[in-house]
Amino acid sequence: MNKSKALVITKKLLFVIVIVYIFIHMTFPFYWAINSSLKSETQVQMQPATMIPRDPQTLEFSPTLQNYQAIFRNITFVRGILNSVFVAVTATVIALVFGSFAAFAMGKLRFRGKTGSLYLILSMTMFPQIAVLSGLYATMRTLNLPVRGFLILSYMLFTLPFTIWVLTSFFKGLPDTLLESGQVDGATPFQTFFFILLPLTAPALVTTGLLAFIAAWNEYLFALTFTSIAPQARTVPVAIALFSGEMAMQEPFGEIMAAAVVVTVPLIILVFVFQRKIISGLTAGAVKG
Amino acid sequence: MATVKLQDLSKREAKLAYLLLVPSIIILILIAFYPLGSVFYASTTNREFASPRPTEYVGLQNYAKLLGVTVQELPPLEDEATGAIMRDEQGNIVFADAFDVLPRSRQGVRYRNLTEFTLFGTKYVLGATEPAFLRAIGDTIQFTVISVLLETVLGLLIALVLHSHFKGRGALRAVMLIPWAVPTAVSSRMWEWMFASSRVGFFNVIGQQLGLTDGQFPFLTDSGSQIWIMIIIDVWKTTPFMALLLLAGLQMIPTSIYEAARVDGASTIRRFFSMTLPMLKPTMAVALVFRTLDALRVFDLFQIVFGRSRFSMASFSYYQLISNRAMGYSSAASVIIFVIILLFILLYMKVLGGTSHE
Repeated sequence: MNKSKALVITKKLLFVIVIVYIFIHMTFPFYWAINSSLKSETQVQMQPATMIPRDPQTLEFSPTLQNYQAIFRNITFVRGILNSVFVAVTATVIALVFGSFAAFAMGKLRFRGKTGSLYLILSMTMFPQIAVLSGLYATMRTLNLPVRGFLILSYMLFTLPFTIWVLTSFFKGLPDTLLESGQVDGATPFQTFFFILLPLTAPALVTTGLLAFIAAWNEYLFALTFTSIAPQARTVPVAIALFSGEMAMQEPFGEIMAAAVVVTVPLIILVFVFQRKIISGLTAGAVKG
Repeated sequence: MATVKLQDLSKREAKLAYLLLVPSIIILILIAFYPLGSVFYASTTNREFASPRPTEYVGLQNYAKLLGVTVQELPPLEDEATGAIMRDEQGNIVFADAFDVLPRSRQGVRYRNLTEFTLFGTKYVLGATEPAFLRAIGDTIQFTVISVLLETVLGLLIALVLHSHFKGRGALRAVMLIPWAVPTAVSSRMWEWMFASSRVGFFNVIGQQLGLTDGQFPFLTDSGSQIWIMIIIDVWKTTPFMALLLLAGLQMIPTSIYEAARVDGASTIRRFFSMTLPMLKPTMAVALVFRTLDALRVFDLFQIVFGRSRFSMASFSYYQLISNRAMGYSSAASVIIFVIILLFILLYMKVLGGTSHE
């Protein structure tokens, strides 16, 4: 009796340790980034590095906000945020509009070639960007296209197939009678789609929109490549990757960490607010697929 | 009369469907199919940006240079005067320098030393016309296999933990989404800083305190640790994704079968291996495919942390395009990456064949 009780307690303790470990492992890099971002240049270079910002002489707790002030004076970073907001929001909206059109057609309408196009879209969701990188870059350069616009268009490569795929399965789940009753009432299929079905898909639109937005906000390969000839169009991941400080003596990691924190905070808020939606969207793409 | 009208209706429906599909199709042709075709075409040319040289068709020369390998025997050096085999102070045989042995390829490109090895007492050198690319392929595949394997095992573990009920379960699930949601560019910078090569970096502080390093270990430039650093960062970032997918899979398994098994006296371990795992297989298959294809095209991590000191397949292709402006050569590298990814898909379809969905 006593022995089994001890076993239960050990098991529980192990379980708690595992959970605490996962928690620390997942969050520690962020803690370290925040810690470093609150240090002055001298504090950042202290050896050994301190777990909290400490004064080099007295070793007392002394954080500073100078890195945050510096990055908001840094035009590349601020412009990067604006570019990212513009590019990611526009790409998401376009993907949702055209994606819901296509998803409605594939989920609810009858036409020849439906299965084929569904498979095509599914395979497109895993399309490697690197395979078209040089082709897209060449097109942009030879036609002299505006970089931000071209970035938005190229982001359709991963946002559009994903949106279509997830929304199609959602439209399929809506009862056919909705469409039929619409027809009986004399509405065209498009009217039924726009006024009846689309409002019903609002939750799915939020989910897919969120995931498309995060994917576009985080995209790096296209952004880095296409903005190589137009630095003023750089998005925030590129700005952070290429970050150089006000005084370019060495890599200003205090400022880089401050920038990392600033970019991460909105994402953390998004994740906490829309946790359930994000998870259901992630798994809809894979599990139900 | 009625059938005519019905036919009319279905025709109208199909017409609407095509109309709704048109924008997406046009966009995907513009940004996927047309550029893919142009990449295949460019891979057979020597096209360069901002080059006065006219673009010419070169056939498969780019591929030959990217993949060209040769094996040459490294003969032991002989003393010119005596003809005896030369030995160093320790008495080891001195072999010819690989540079002197490696020939030029048919296109006149010099083979460079990729690796040396000994087989049945004879020393050989494996030379390649583009050692960096072959190394990138090897590194990327090693990175993919190890990190996907680790992510699957750890992801499954975490999914099992999350599947049980405890206080703070929702919070933990939310916390796990953060590494996934943060841009790889940002997390690469964060980890790069933690792996700094002196005690300004977290890992060198800890390493020194534990007596593992002297506090100066060059994690990011040591060729032995480089791939492992990539794996550590990638596992941190993508295990949550794996765990959440597998958790969703776990939640779809009806609990009633577990109760039945418990009644029958099946042990926890037995239940896991003969029930949970087989029922999780379809989900796991999808997750594996997703992650493998993702890992094979890894770019951000390698490019940000290593720059040009060590390539992934994708970052090699990128540097050829942007730094060398070698459109043709970069395209050929991209085509090879595309083919390698296709091969992995075929492999998965063959292995997982029966369990794949739909």
